[in-house]
Amino acid sequence: MTNSPHTAPRARRISMAVAAGALLSTTALAGCSVANSEDSTSGSQAAVAGDTLRIVLQQEPPTLEACESNLTSTGVVVRSTITEPLIERNPSTGELEPKLATEWSSEDDTTWTLKLREGVKFHDGSDFTAEDAAATINRAVNSDLGCNVEGYVFGDDDLDVKAVDDNTVEVTALKADPILPLRLSFLEVVPAETSTTEKVREPIGTGPYKLDAWNAGQSIDASAFAEYWGEASAFAKANYQWRSEGSVRAAMITSGEADIATGLSPEDSIGDLGVSYPNNETVALRMHADKAPFDDIRIRQAVNYAIDKEAIVASLYGGRDKAAAQLVPEGVVGHSESLPVWEYNPEKAKSLVAEAKDDGVETSAQINMIVRTAQFPKIEELGQVIQEQLSQAGLNVNLKMLETSQHLTYQVRPFPTDEDGAIMLMTQHGNQAGDAAFTVDQYMTSKGAQSAFGTPELDELIDTADAATGEDRQAAFEKVFQYQNDEVVQFAHIAHQTGMLGIAGTVSYEPNSSSGDELRLAEVTAK
Amino acid sequence: MLTYLRKRIISSGLPLLVVIVGVFALARMTGNPAALYLPLNATEAMREDFAVRNGLDQPIWVQMAQYFGGILRLDFGESMRTGESAGAMALRAFPATLQLAGTTMALAIVLAVIVGSAAALKPNGILDRFSSFLSMTAASIPDFWLAIVGIWVFAITLGWVPTSGVVGMAAWVLPVATLVMRPFGTLVQVVRGAMVSSLSEPYIKLARAKGATQYRVVGAHALRNAAAPGLTVAGDLTVGLVNGAVVVETIFGWPGIGKLMIDSILQRDFAVLQACVLLTAVAIFVLNILIDIGYALLDPRVRPSAGARKRRKARVEHRGQQNGPKAPTTPTTTGSAATAVLDA
Repeated sequence: MTNSPHTAPRARRISMAVAAGALLSTTALAGCSVANSEDSTSGSQAAVAGDTLRIVLQQEPPTLEACESNLTSTGVVVRSTITEPLIERNPSTGELEPKLATEWSSEDDTTWTLKLREGVKFHDGSDFTAEDAAATINRAVNSDLGCNVEGYVFGDDDLDVKAVDDNTVEVTALKADPILPLRLSFLEVVPAETSTTEKVREPIGTGPYKLDAWNAGQSIDASAFAEYWGEASAFAKANYQWRSEGSVRAAMITSGEADIATGLSPEDSIGDLGVSYPNNETVALRMHADKAPFDDIRIRQAVNYAIDKEAIVASLYGGRDKAAAQLVPEGVVGHSESLPVWEYNPEKAKSLVAEAKDDGVETSAQINMIVRTAQFPKIEELGQVIQEQLSQAGLNVNLKMLETSQHLTYQVRPFPTDEDGAIMLMTQHGNQAGDAAFTVDQYMTSKGAQSAFGTPELDELIDTADAATGEDRQAAFEKVFQYQNDEVVQFAHIAHQTGMLGIAGTVSYEPNSSSGDELRLAEVTAK
Repeated sequence: MLTYLRKRIISSGLPLLVVIVGVFALARMTGNPAALYLPLNATEAMREDFAVRNGLDQPIWVQMAQYFGGILRLDFGESMRTGESAGAMALRAFPATLQLAGTTMALAIVLAVIVGSAAALKPNGILDRFSSFLSMTAASIPDFWLAIVGIWVFAITLGWVPTSGVVGMAAWVLPVATLVMRPFGTLVQVVRGAMVSSLSEPYIKLARAKGATQYRVVGAHALRNAAAPGLTVAGDLTVGLVNGAVVVETIFGWPGIGKLMIDSILQRDFAVLQACVLLTAVAIFVLNILIDIGYALLDPRVRPSAGARKRRKARVEHRGQQNGPKAPTTPTTTGSAATAVLDA
C-alpha cells in the first residue's frame, strides 16, 4: 500500500467535517432572515394590508436628500410626503398653490416676499420659521453642496435670501424672474440646522409622513406624523419597496402584496388594476443639421412627413399616448392647442427627398438614429418602425441602441464630432415644471445644452417669451413652437406619453401628470 | 500540505492583483460619470465642481495612488450615487448573496449526489434515463424565464409564496428554487458519470464480494472517489453564484452584490464598483483555496507532501533493491481506493 492506513480515514474525517460545517453554516444562514434584514423585521413585517400603505417603486432611492428631490427616484418618496415645499404646483391645473408659504408677491419680479404658514412643526418637534425657509434656499441654491435641484432649476445664479421676521422671507434674484415662485416650488424645506457641508440621506421634514427606518436594499418605512399641520393621512404607516421588473411590481399588486406600483406598462399583465395617466413626457427626434442630409431643411421636413405618428400611437401604445406637434404637452404654459400635428404623407416625404437630391443634396448619406435602450416601453420597436418608414422615404438610417451613459454623450453638448453620419437622437423630454421656458431654453436656443442648432430669430423669440408674463407669455411660447415647426425643424415630434400605475382595489388614488415624480401619499385613501 | 497551500495562495493571489488594477482602469475607460449625476442642463461650472468634489479632476496616476492607498486602509471612498461609504455598501450586500449562494449550492449538491448516485446504480435504466432528462432540462432552463413563471404559478395563481422580497422563510423558496436548477442539472451529470466509473472499479467488486452493503459501497467507497470531479464543478458553479446572481437578485428584489455591481457599472459609480469587485475577488480567492484544500483532502495524489512521501519511499525502496533482497512493490493506485478495500 502506498498510503499509511491512517492517512485516508483522517483526511476523510476532515473533509467530511468541512462539508458538514459548510452545510451547517449554510443551514444556519438560511434559517435566519436575509443578511441585514433583522433591522427591517419590525417595519417590513408590519407591511401588511390594513393600516399600512404599501408602495412598490422601480428602484431604491439613491438618497432622500431634500435638495435632490428633483430626481425622480428621490422625489417620488420625499416630495410632499416627507418634506414639503413653500409653494406647490397643482399638476392638473398648472396653478401655483400655497403650501408652507401662504402668499407671495413681487412688485418688480426681482424681489419676492413670501408669507409663511404658522403652526407648522418639523418631525423633530421644532417649529418651522422664516429662518428655516431662508436656510433651505441658501443650502440648495447658494451653497457648495452641488445640489441637483440647483443645476436643474437655478443654474449658476445665486439668490439673495433674508428672513424679514419669523413668518416672512424675502428672496431677490439677480435679474427679473417672473417664474421665481415656480422655481421655488422645487425646493423642499428642511430645518435650518441641516448640514450645509454634507448631504443628508434621511431628511427631517414637515410632511404628513415621517421617516421611521430605511433598511438599505430592502424597504423604507414611514408613519403618519401626528403633529402634521394639515389633514390627517388615511394610513397610519407607509412602506416602500422596490423591484426592477415591471411584471414583478404588477404581480405584487395582483397578489395583494402592494397597494400602489409605479412605472408599469400594459405588457406587465396588470389588467384592470393598471391606471393610465399623462406623465408630461414627450418623445421626439432631434436632427443635427451639421451634416448631410440634415443640412437641408427639406430632408428634416421629409422625416416629419414620413413618420406615421397616429399609427405608432395606436399600434405600439394602444392608443393611450397622443401624437405630438411640440415638445410640451397640454397643461404646460406655452403649449399650443392650435399647432397641428405634422401630417403623415409618405409621398410628400419622397418628393422632398427627391427634390433635395436633384439639387445636389447627398440624400443617401448615413443617418445614425441614436436610441437609448429601455428608456421607455417598446422603444426598440419604435426605433425599428421609424427606421423602416424613413427608409421607405429614401433615407439611409442606421439604428444605434445605446445604454444610458453612452446615449447622454449625444444628448448634451458637446456632441460627438467623429460620428460616421448625421445624428438623429431619440429624446424623451419631461417638463415637470409646467412652464415652456424649462424646455425651449434647453432644446431650442442656438446654444442650448440639448439643442443641436438654432437661429437668431428663434433665440429672439425665446428671449421675449422668457421675459413675458401672463397671457403674453402663453402667446409668446406658442409662437416659438410654431416657428420651430415652420422655419427651423430641428425636431420631429412623435408622441406625448402616458404612464401607468398599478392601484390595488383596496385603495383609491387619482394619478396626475406628476405621480411618477411625486407620489403624494396624503392623497391616497382606503376604499 | 502547508507547502501546497502556500503555492496555491501565491498562484491565486496574482489574479487578485490583476483584478484590483483592472477594475480601476476599465471602470474609468467607460467615460465621465458627470453626465449621469448632474442635470442635463448643468453648466460647465457645475461639471467642474462635480469633478473636483469626486477627485475626477486629478491626473489618473494620482487617482490610482489614492485608490491603492484607500485599499490599504480598507477605505474605498464614497458612492457618487448615494453618498454612502462604498465599502459599507458592498459589505452590506455581500452576505445576502453568500446566503443565497450557500443555500443554493448546499441544496444542489445534496440533490445531485442523491439523484446522480441513484442513476449510476443502473446505467441506462429507467431512473438513469429519467434523471438525465431531468438534469439536462434543469441545466438548460433560462433562470429569468423560470423566475417569472415561478412567480406566476406559485405566487399569483396558487398564492403559496410571496412574489419577491426577503422577509420570512417563504421568500427564499422561489429565488433558491430558480437558482438551484442549473447547478443541480450540471452536478447530476457529473456525479452520475463519476459514479458509473467508480462503481465499475475492481475495488468496488471486492467490497461487494466482502459483503459490504449497497449503502456502504455507494456512500463510503464509490462516492468518495467520485467526489473530486464533483467538487471541481461545484466550485466553479459556486464562484458564479458568489459573483452575484444578477438576474435572480433583480427579479426577486434580493439585496445582493450582483445587482449592486450592475447598478454601479450602469451609474459609473466607480468607488462602489471597485469595492464590490474587490470583495467578490477576495471571496473567490478564498473559495478557490478552500476548493483546493477540499480537493487535496479528497485526493492525496494532488498533495505535494503525499507526492514527496511517495518519492521518498520509492527512493528507499530503490536503495533497498540495490542493497538487499527485493521488497514487494505496489502498483500506484489511489489512496482512497486502497483504503476502501481495507475498510470493507
